[in-house]
Amino acid sequence: MNAIYEVQGLVIDLYTPTVSVRAVDGAGFHVAPGETLAIVGESGSGKTVMTLGPLGLLPEGVAVDLRGTARADGKDILAMTPADLSRLRGGFFGVIFQDPMSALNPMLKIGPQLARQAQVYAGLSAEAAKREAVSLLARSGIPDPEDRYDRYPHELSGGMLQRAMIALALAARPRVLIADEPTTALDATVQAQILALIRQIQKEDGIAVILITHDIGAVSVLADRVAVLYAGQVAEEGSAMDVLTAPVHPYTRGLLASVPDFRSETASGTKEIPGIPPNQAQLVPGCRFADRCDQVQPQCHRRRPRLQTVGTGALPHRVACPVVIAAEGIVTHD
Amino acid sequence: MKNWPWAILAPATIFVLIGIFSPWLMTHNPAAQDYAALLEGPSWSHWLGTDYLGRDMFSRIIGGARTSLVAMVFVLVAALAIGVVIGSFAGYVGGKTELVLISMIDIALALPSLVIALALMGVFSGANFDWMSDYWKMIVALTLAWWANYARMSRAVVVAELQQPYIEAARVMGASHIWIFTRHILPHVLGLVVVYASADAGALVLAIATLSFLGLGVAPPTPEWGQMLVDGMSYIEENTALVIIPGLALTAVVVSFNLLGEAFALQKVPRAVRGRFLARKKAARAAEETARNEVEA
Amino acid sequence: MTDAITAKGLKVHFQTAAGLVRAVDGVDLSVQRGAFHGIVGESGCGKTTLARALIGLQTATEGQVSIFGRDRADWAKADRKGFARAVQFIFQDPLGSMSRRQTVGQTLEEPLQIHGLGDRTARRARVQELLDLVALPATVLDRLPRSLSGGQRQRVAIARALALSPQLLICDEPLSALDVSVRAQIVNLFARLQAQLGLTIVIVAHDLAIVREVCSAVTVMYLGRVAEEGAAKPLFADPAHPYSQALLSAVPSPDPRTEATRARILLQGDPPSPRNPPPGCRFSTRCPVVEPQCRAAEPVLRGVAHGGAAACHLAGASVHAMI
Repeated sequence: MNAIYEVQGLVIDLYTPTVSVRAVDGAGFHVAPGETLAIVGESGSGKTVMTLGPLGLLPEGVAVDLRGTARADGKDILAMTPADLSRLRGGFFGVIFQDPMSALNPMLKIGPQLARQAQVYAGLSAEAAKREAVSLLARSGIPDPEDRYDRYPHELSGGMLQRAMIALALAARPRVLIADEPTTALDATVQAQILALIRQIQKEDGIAVILITHDIGAVSVLADRVAVLYAGQVAEEGSAMDVLTAPVHPYTRGLLASVPDFRSETASGTKEIPGIPPNQAQLVPGCRFADRCDQVQPQCHRRRPRLQTVGTGALPHRVACPVVIAAEGIVTHD
Repeated sequence: MKNWPWAILAPATIFVLIGIFSPWLMTHNPAAQDYAALLEGPSWSHWLGTDYLGRDMFSRIIGGARTSLVAMVFVLVAALAIGVVIGSFAGYVGGKTELVLISMIDIALALPSLVIALALMGVFSGANFDWMSDYWKMIVALTLAWWANYARMSRAVVVAELQQPYIEAARVMGASHIWIFTRHILPHVLGLVVVYASADAGALVLAIATLSFLGLGVAPPTPEWGQMLVDGMSYIEENTALVIIPGLALTAVVVSFNLLGEAFALQKVPRAVRGRFLARKKAARAAEETARNEVEA
Repeated sequence: MTDAITAKGLKVHFQTAAGLVRAVDGVDLSVQRGAFHGIVGESGCGKTTLARALIGLQTATEGQVSIFGRDRADWAKADRKGFARAVQFIFQDPLGSMSRRQTVGQTLEEPLQIHGLGDRTARRARVQELLDLVALPATVLDRLPRSLSGGQRQRVAIARALALSPQLLICDEPLSALDVSVRAQIVNLFARLQAQLGLTIVIVAHDLAIVREVCSAVTVMYLGRVAEEGAAKPLFADPAHPYSQALLSAVPSPDPRTEATRARILLQGDPPSPRNPPPGCRFSTRCPVVEPQCRAAEPVLRGVAHGGAAACHLAGASVHAMI
């Protein structure tokens, strides 16, 4: 596996004076160049902390205890100095956030912000960086890029800003693009455009893309592989086809059943998962999904389920639910 | 407030208690003059000595606490009432009324409170105001000098809260303006303003002392620290205690209220999340983890 | 039987420093009693402004709104409390719509107190009834809103809106702030409450798949006007207006097999601003099948194949433009 960004056995505890939260509880993932990995989960699943945490992008004013291994391009990033990590964040990783206004400096024009990234991290000259910035704006689907180069962020609409942020992320020629809920704040038609743009960029540049989202539609458009997170643990992971069309874990099944598909012939109602999201402040033995699961067995409260490999596809399909595996006679290959 | 060290609340509390219980704490009548014991040092009968008229310093200090406390409470309550009403009204009603009121508030804020108070005391010295004692003149002057800040704060809180969606939600439920103001907005206003006032109290005590120092406040023989300071200055070569004792008392009270105000303000700043804090939390979490591992084993 | 809501020629214009914003620019709407009516569209289409104008949180610049046969403005002026007992509103941000200093119990009791309904005991009982209606445990009564999950907060907001037993509930994007699986819970709750209490519900939403699933009727808005309206399932099955077609096409399926093979319509650019709508049909600047007549005259709503109406020159009753 030639993973360009991989994380294993990650445990992240976040501490504030009033509350202690285990955001990530022994989870991991990996992504290879040219591949799109979708990390799916809801509030409290730990998907953002797991992906951005090893890069040092954690909430302010919170004490962090991070354990596990994380490698980028083979190098151990947890052992890096803050300065090296900062360079890595700038040049190796590009990050797109949900809110484009927070990524762009409102006091500076857009073009120079992109050009500076290209200069510092891609080592371009000032002249070349400026040309690169304009071409990135054009590539991101912004019309009239020379004009937009000299505009301020507040002069652009939401969709355009999102594209400008993508252009900014690409300016440093990253090898991994991390998109944290890139479509949640956007209209449907703009969402479709942005997703198409990300896919195009990936095909052209061969970069690895990590899509952090709870929007199953976006996942089915973009992802090659999917990892489903619940309460800081990986419930299921595999190819997008396997996980979205033949899910095994009860949470994945419940999640997909609650998302209607108006193009499908079979009834795709909004079946809900009972109960409330997990309380991350507590360490609970056994499976975290147990108290909402319709397949729950006594062992679920005692033994923490391990990921087991099922199926025979090219990409391994792993599931952390021995109950369903046993009940449906699914063959495991561990 | 439960987590605060005692040291923060104690001085201000002690001052208030002394002020309230002063008649019982005094050893002598603070106005009683004893020509046989002038400018004496500390002794068993006069714990802090006597002043130039033979009056017991200890009792005068205690008495001064009460004078200051009473005046301070009157001024604060009146200034709060006026300020909150004007400020809230301005914020809630908006429009031209708000503009007019804001202008009034801004003018009042443009000048330092003490200067306004002095000017007012000058006005009150005219013949029309002879029916007011100097004490009450001082209280009225200080109130008029002090309300503007509370008005500004009240208006700011009202304006900010009115923008919140839950106010709209209350209107949709059929709530009247009075209901919304008293139930939702006023608590926020009072919450902010009362906290500020408690820190402001120290500055007010100092202002009262300053006015008395300048001869514009309390009339003798009522003990008042500022008054005692100015009296003591003439005798500074013979007995510096006459100046030092009221000066220390003033300093102590102002500092104690400042500490109180700072403590309130600092509550908003997140505490340090390094060092021992992290170690403690990690240890707690490790213990929880071991417990969980045992169950899962 | 009169409609629950009838709006005629509704306009809401804002005068801003940057010019006149025509948020709602001539909308005719009718919502039937007992309907679950969805209003969909993208940013700038005016759907939120429309919802707020219907209940009076926004004053209309022009036009008239009738609720249960009575003119809304007159009703609210004459009997504000009575109106509040008939029509209620759910806000987009459940946390912001509740006072952060009040417990859930106090929040739920407040509408009862405002309207003087019953004494303490009666109010407590009613609060418990409300909790049962929205399936919340009694333990939430003493908690503050910020300690609840998004789904729980929204349930509290719904319970509060139902406290006065309204007949009409208008909801502004009640699902947007919620997680995917929680949306299903809340939407099912709405459906259940509607069946149980005979409510008429108007819901502004941008999750088209859910709207299709639960709504009986749909209004599609574009730039301050109605582009298309009709019964939900028929409209979604065969949208007549090119914008509706594009909008539906933009919604991805959760099934990658469908995604890989379906035809997609990708519109160019962003929606124009409600400050200066284009002349003629507002969608003409982005419409893939635009014709000269579209830029000349603004289309009106006409009957179309699925039984509803669409405002498009190319959408005849029997055949319509396909992108």
